[in-house]
Amino acid sequence: MSDNNKKEIIRVEELSKNFGEHQVLRKIDFSVNKGDVICILGSSGSGKSTLLRCINQLEKQTYGKIYFDGKELGRTQHEINIYRSKVGMVFQSFNLFNNMTVLKNCMTGTRKVLHLSKEEAHERAINHLRSVGMAPFINAYPAQLSGGQKQRVAIARGLCMDPDVLLFDEPTSALDPEMVGEVLNVMKSLAKTGLTMLIVTHEMGFARDVSTRVLFMDKGYIVEDAPPEKFFTSPENARTKEFLSRYISDGERRS
Amino acid sequence: MTNTPNGVFEWIWFIASEYAQLFVEGTLITLAVSVAGTILGFILGFIVGIAEDSKLSRNDPVPKKIFLGIIKGISKVYIELFRGTPMIVQAMIIYYGLRQGGFEIDPIMAGILVTVLNTGAYMAETVRAGIKSIDIGQREGALAMGMSPISAMMNIVLPQAFKNIVPEMANMFLTNLKMTSVLNVIGVKELFLQAKTAGGTYYKYLESYLVIAIIYFVLCFLFNRIFLFIEKKMAGKKDYALAVEYMDNNE
Repeated sequence: MSDNNKKEIIRVEELSKNFGEHQVLRKIDFSVNKGDVICILGSSGSGKSTLLRCINQLEKQTYGKIYFDGKELGRTQHEINIYRSKVGMVFQSFNLFNNMTVLKNCMTGTRKVLHLSKEEAHERAINHLRSVGMAPFINAYPAQLSGGQKQRVAIARGLCMDPDVLLFDEPTSALDPEMVGEVLNVMKSLAKTGLTMLIVTHEMGFARDVSTRVLFMDKGYIVEDAPPEKFFTSPENARTKEFLSRYISDGERRS
Repeated sequence: MTNTPNGVFEWIWFIASEYAQLFVEGTLITLAVSVAGTILGFILGFIVGIAEDSKLSRNDPVPKKIFLGIIKGISKVYIELFRGTPMIVQAMIIYYGLRQGGFEIDPIMAGILVTVLNTGAYMAETVRAGIKSIDIGQREGALAMGMSPISAMMNIVLPQAFKNIVPEMANMFLTNLKMTSVLNVIGVKELFLQAKTAGGTYYKYLESYLVIAIIYFVLCFLFNRIFLFIEKKMAGKKDYALAVEYMDNNE
């Protein structure tokens, strides 16, 4: 935080989330700096997705605070809307608007939320769709696209909002294996642009190659927070070691 | 009378032409009441359905909680009452209730009011189910980019729900077209009441009701075709054109 290049953009303090009796997040503390590409790993049920959904306020935390750009997040709907327009989200199930074409999907947010002119919104949409290789498909409806194509459109839609941070909630988990690569490639080139990204994923290779930091979650806690070199070679937490060894042996069995 | 009609068919023809004006008037009133009743009923149903579906969150201000709570309570009672009683009884109670309360309401207006209230009660449930049928991800996708909950509902969820609701709307209209016949009990001069009048003079009730049966059937048949056509149109195109101007050479 003292370093100017490492300006803090999101900080989470003692974030806790209960679903009824079940405690999914337990006093999570961590911060995200500008330009960070953070991969969040962990077995299912460890709270990764819930953490991401709390950061975007699709789930309201039971306890704890979220700071964005140094200010505590407001509680009114209006404040949350503005915050969300700066913190985009890409979902596992894409969530493209089924009643709109690819182009309209990418223009709705900029038109309705950012109030850009039609021309500006159109230009932005085309630019970002082009960067994910989906510009030729502007007239298609989501139902007419493959999973990988849908996810690339969803990423373009998120980029159109020109967000400070883009959250990815298992962006490749719903894809056929041969489509995972095309989406990961798009995300890889995004990481190079310096976009701040928070990615919940099961793609270990991707996490190793692309991230600047890796978080490992277990039973609602962040138990490991390290740069990828350290995370994958000499993790400190016992659960992390167990998780990684299972992944490595799985990988060997497969090859 | 010089040439008295012989047999059912001649009588049907005789009554239809003798009382053509009554039947035409009846057809128009039946259509007017069912069209007005259905359209206004849809609007009511949409409002009630959306109100019923809206959720309160912990952080909402207290006045909003109270207001929404009352609206939701009224909606529930209204839906239960109107779905739980026959339309013919509702017509009597509303018409005579208003008259006793000093409201000189025209039978046609009362008929439309009853149809609206009845349609609204059924449509509210349909709208609610239609909204529920839309994947929650559609709403979340909209919210996640900073759209307000109302904007997400109007721009993303409702247009999709509407598509699912259209067939049910068509059904409701056809039901209303036939159900307006019960409004004869409050003196609305729709088809049924006209048939009763026409049949009374010569005591030819069977023939008279056969005339309106044909009219009802033709109306329903025609409207059904129209609705099927609209549904087909709404399904949209199956293919799309590639935007070649944005095609990269290496693709």
